[in-house]
Amino acid sequence: MTLVDATLVAGYTVADVLLYAAAGFAVLAIGMLYRAVKGPTMQDRVLAVNVLGTNTVVILGLLAAALGEPTFLDVALVYALLNFLMAIAISKFTVERGGVL
Amino acid sequence: MTDASDESDAADPDVTAGDPAETGSGPSGEGGRRGTVVVPVERTPTLRATVAHAVESAASGEFSAVHFVEIASWRDGDPESEERTAEAERILERVLAWAEADLADSDADETDVTIAVDLIGSDDYLFGPDDYVSVLVEYAEENDCDAVLLDPEYTPVGNTTLLQPLEFALSNTGLAVETAPVTRPTRRERLRSEATGVRFAAMFGLSLAFYFVLGDPLYWFDWVTGVASAAIVSITLSRISFDADPALPRTPLRLARGAIYVPVLLYEIVMANLVVARVILDPRLPIEPTMNRMRVIVGSGLPLMTLANSITLTPGTLTVRARDSDLYVHSLIPWARDGLFDGSLERWTRFVYYGRSSARLPTPRERDDCAVLQGPDATEDLPIAATDGGEDATAEPTPTDGAAGDAAEVTDG
Amino acid sequence: MIDAVETVRVGLIVVFVLLGLFFSFVSMVGVLRLPDVYSRAHTASQADTLGAGFGLAAVALTVGWEGAGFKSVLLLFFIFVTNPTAAHGIARAAFEEGIVPWTEGDERR
Repeated sequence: MTLVDATLVAGYTVADVLLYAAAGFAVLAIGMLYRAVKGPTMQDRVLAVNVLGTNTVVILGLLAAALGEPTFLDVALVYALLNFLMAIAISKFTVERGGVL
Repeated sequence: MTDASDESDAADPDVTAGDPAETGSGPSGEGGRRGTVVVPVERTPTLRATVAHAVESAASGEFSAVHFVEIASWRDGDPESEERTAEAERILERVLAWAEADLADSDADETDVTIAVDLIGSDDYLFGPDDYVSVLVEYAEENDCDAVLLDPEYTPVGNTTLLQPLEFALSNTGLAVETAPVTRPTRRERLRSEATGVRFAAMFGLSLAFYFVLGDPLYWFDWVTGVASAAIVSITLSRISFDADPALPRTPLRLARGAIYVPVLLYEIVMANLVVARVILDPRLPIEPTMNRMRVIVGSGLPLMTLANSITLTPGTLTVRARDSDLYVHSLIPWARDGLFDGSLERWTRFVYYGRSSARLPTPRERDDCAVLQGPDATEDLPIAATDGGEDATAEPTPTDGAAGDAAEVTDG
Repeated sequence: MIDAVETVRVGLIVVFVLLGLFFSFVSMVGVLRLPDVYSRAHTASQADTLGAGFGLAAVALTVGWEGAGFKSVLLLFFIFVTNPTAAHGIARAAFEEGIVPWTEGDERR
């Protein structure tokens, strides 16, 4: 019996807690989507998408722990790298078009 | 003059009133009449420089009047047309203010050059360069203009390829076309430092260690691919990642002091986050965002990055810009601003990089190295005009000698 | 069976997950409610970094200290370095575009 299968209260295991938390993060990410769609400026959208990406990384991590799939963490690592690169590239690109770094 | 685009013909005295050659009172009137130029404007990185160039050529006697026009890509009555018109008028207002300031700065007689701004083309949809040209030509005929000055970055409706066809279509008309000889403001700093063996070795070791953390150090295939990837990374990046050789007593000491700093920073982050969370979640508590400027004494490069990132991580403060040792910091609530000016993060950064002795310097508030740029407590102007490529005219000379004196104390102590 | 150490560990996991959710919630409220891009960048960079940090700390506690746990600690560290940098990049882009920060009394929201 591993840790994620340990019963917490009323039949809920640690894995359940992590899965519900992942669902909560997903709901928060949907709330953030409003800002990504509404704007009003380009930077607002980039910011919202960046936060969305961070939430996705956390969701991937929680799923990796809850489902016992360590490979999800590699996906999360790459996603975090791409997310950072996206934010930097777009904010560079809007200021001096074509002159990234 | 702004609303002169009615059906009046060119001889209308209302239109030509500002033209000194026509009224015969201009100083250069003997050499024939000077032209009038029309400049289509839009928010671009080079707009500020284009305005400066247009006014400069007018002041040097090339033109008697400069018309800045914004060509509307929308039509009156569209949804959002009101906001877009308001936005366009804001830009035109700014252009007018810049042009008048430039004209006042030039040595030409201010009454000699007329400046007008107008928003045109909003009663029709414009699809291609030809539509833009016909609107421009119509305006030029109405206002007796004979030349067009183009902003090199002029791309209405976000169409990045429009300038070339626009220039071509304009060359078929009677107007003289010129592109303003300005370039976008680019920074040409040297990002790379020189390559040395120590830096290469450090970068190689770090990337190989990272590779083995993700991979399996006991598997021969990971050794081959790891060494290859680490070699590529260190060949390409070792000159960028380090600006000084890692030295034996210094680097481990910095790492050790950094390890002390991390829990302190984490504690600060959590505590301040709770305060800001309360402000955000409770609508009754007001927020008072302001922009601030702070001159910090930490040196450049890695220490400055550490400090700027620490400031950003601490809730309520956000580093917007780091220029030399001037940090522009946006603060959400006055509490966070006071904490910033008390300078505990700056002190900790100095401790991490230079040791205990240099941590005890006066705070930014005591040094008088901080300023509030907005709101009721503002002590300086916001240098936002500097963003359009113009000179940083609003930044007053800050007491650099004081900072240099403090830096000398660092090396002494 | 769960011994005392494991009980503490499970308790910490639950607390960290809840704290992570709370700070992410604060970040979302801030991004939706605050008036301009600079103040939104505050919560996006800070509250969200802390929320993600707690979430990933819970993950690290769950998966243990082998390879996977080290990866999640690495991920945590990476997010703590890159998130404020990204927020700074975005805010600087806004500043260089000429967006004036909102102050009290400004109508624009």
